[in-house]
Amino acid sequence: MYRVSKLALRSPSLLKTQLFSTATKSSATQLFHPTEEHVALRQMLRSFVESEVDPQALVHNRTETFNVELFRKLGSLGLLGITVEPEYGGSGMDATAACIAHEELSAADPAFCLSYLAHSMLFVNNLARNGSHEQKLKYLPKACTGELICGMGMSEPSVGTDVLGMSTTAKLTPDGKHYLINGAKMWITNGTIDGKSTGDAFLVYAKTDPTQRGGGLTSFLVDKGMPGFTLGQKIEDKCGMRASMTAELVFSDVKVPIENVVGEVGKASLCMMRNLEIERVTLAAMALGIARRSIEVMTRYSQERKAFGKPIAEYGQIQKAIAESYAEYMAGRSYVYNFAASLELSTYGNGLDADGVKLFCAPMAKRVADRAIQCLGGYGYVGEYQVERLWRDAKLLEIGGGTNEAHHKNMVRDLRKSGKIE
Amino acid sequence: MKVLVPIKRVIDYAVKVRVLPDKSGVDLNNVKMSLNPFCEIAIEEAVRLKEKKIATELVAVSIGPKAAQDSIRTALAMGVDKGIHIETNLRTDQELQPLAVAKLLKEVAKREDAKLVVLGKQSIDSDNGQVGQMLASLLDWPQVTFASKVTFADDKQSLTVDRETDKGSEVVQVTVPAVVTADLRLNEPRYASLPNIMKAKKKPIETLAADSLIDAKDLQPRNTVLKVEEPAARKAGEIVDSVDSLINSLKNKAKVI
Repeated sequence: MYRVSKLALRSPSLLKTQLFSTATKSSATQLFHPTEEHVALRQMLRSFVESEVDPQALVHNRTETFNVELFRKLGSLGLLGITVEPEYGGSGMDATAACIAHEELSAADPAFCLSYLAHSMLFVNNLARNGSHEQKLKYLPKACTGELICGMGMSEPSVGTDVLGMSTTAKLTPDGKHYLINGAKMWITNGTIDGKSTGDAFLVYAKTDPTQRGGGLTSFLVDKGMPGFTLGQKIEDKCGMRASMTAELVFSDVKVPIENVVGEVGKASLCMMRNLEIERVTLAAMALGIARRSIEVMTRYSQERKAFGKPIAEYGQIQKAIAESYAEYMAGRSYVYNFAASLELSTYGNGLDADGVKLFCAPMAKRVADRAIQCLGGYGYVGEYQVERLWRDAKLLEIGGGTNEAHHKNMVRDLRKSGKIE
Repeated sequence: MKVLVPIKRVIDYAVKVRVLPDKSGVDLNNVKMSLNPFCEIAIEEAVRLKEKKIATELVAVSIGPKAAQDSIRTALAMGVDKGIHIETNLRTDQELQPLAVAKLLKEVAKREDAKLVVLGKQSIDSDNGQVGQMLASLLDWPQVTFASKVTFADDKQSLTVDRETDKGSEVVQVTVPAVVTADLRLNEPRYASLPNIMKAKKKPIETLAADSLIDAKDLQPRNTVLKVEEPAARKAGEIVDSVDSLINSLKNKAKVI
């Protein structure tokens, strides 16, 4: 796939933000893109985002539509299967690469990036780590090209943080060949693409044995078109992440073959644990993208806008806003990439910092975007100047993928166990 | 057929360029550098020739400090097979000049037994637009510059090239070996996909010292840069109230008619 020549794109508009040089080879930048491949990935993404993602962000936010064509371009770039082994159609890269992809895409369109995350991390990565060879062969190659657009269903209308309180059940049929799934899942990103029918494939969590402690939580592959599996509703009028489709999915005696059980029956909490860390670190990386763009916009604007004869960048309150934003962003960025460097995709047990990076970065992104709106004054309040959209999009990160409160709960549970910090 | 693609690492097109305080040149410190846009277009054209099975092997070559390898890596990630880095510490935006570059590239072209050289029409730092032409002359090969379309004949020996000139478009036919320089509208370069970025890791880059290919004195600049200045600030425009007033201003103030 091709891009418009950079020279032809040159336009001196206020909206076009200047890129900070990544020329310095300090140890800090080594952390953010440790190998040449990571550097090349980030450069390619910056270029792609500038010419393909930035121009479409505002209109998709306004119309609440998902850009399927752009999503499939991510497929041709090898981004949809970024953590999947090449034998299944993926690019075989690490958690750091996943963070780079999420940070870069989010700088321009966090909503689009959220759909990317739900597909590539919540479905694709989960299946790559937990699925059988046959299951992976069946779904991953098409998910990696974007032919299938997928998601994951865990939360329900009445259940979020209290995951084990879910009421979706899966009952084994008398002949032992199928499970019947009943229930509803809520807040499912990519739950619908066209607004009228479900997305293509989902990893759905359901209880196979409500009498058991934990309920026998099991993970199932559910396909579009399975009788009984329907779109409850497309969720409209969201505050932010509007270019990402969110839906309620309904399961009414959905007959799922036992071959579609991912991992072992009753052992899905293992699947969940393995995936939660990459999910949270990439959500935190999304927050970084939002923060970086907000800083770029307010830094540029404050040099150009004048008040009382001088650029507003010379006033203390603006300086405070920009400087504090930068320092908080770099602190978050260092936390995220340091953690990502230690994250082995096939293991788990680093929950504390997975919660920690998101707990720090999500509110940070919201704060930084808020300061950016304030710096831009009236213009900050208007869609064309990006920052109000980034602010609305940032808010979701304090809720989705784990609320701030869920992180508090998890982190204290983990800290109580470990006691000493190295 | 082996195709040689000379490329250059230059200041990124979006950077606000500043002049050094002593006016000896442009400030390159901590400034974002990228692959020259016309070089990118040349790489894309070469990769397409390989996809059409006209080119059998693509070699990218870049001259400059160690960091020039970044540009070679980008070329490898786009589909080039191997890279050659000619190392020199001369400033590539003003000290290493077109004739020296052309002489170095002539050696590489002969060494690699290339049958086609595809390169950008000019670099966006020095904007000389001379290397392609000088190289063709040194090699005694035909040249087609400012190419906006390249079509090979079935025999893979002759090519028809549309070239953009000040008067319009012109169609030229040449046979290999030849030098072609790429203009803006030749193609739209591809993004390096992640799988290709990974593959590029295994592709070789050979480093050669510039003075091992040609005489050290031929590398030295033939023109000395005395002073580099920012362009004069644009004066404000003037709004006129009638055609007569306009003609008067054009004649007496701007002195263009």
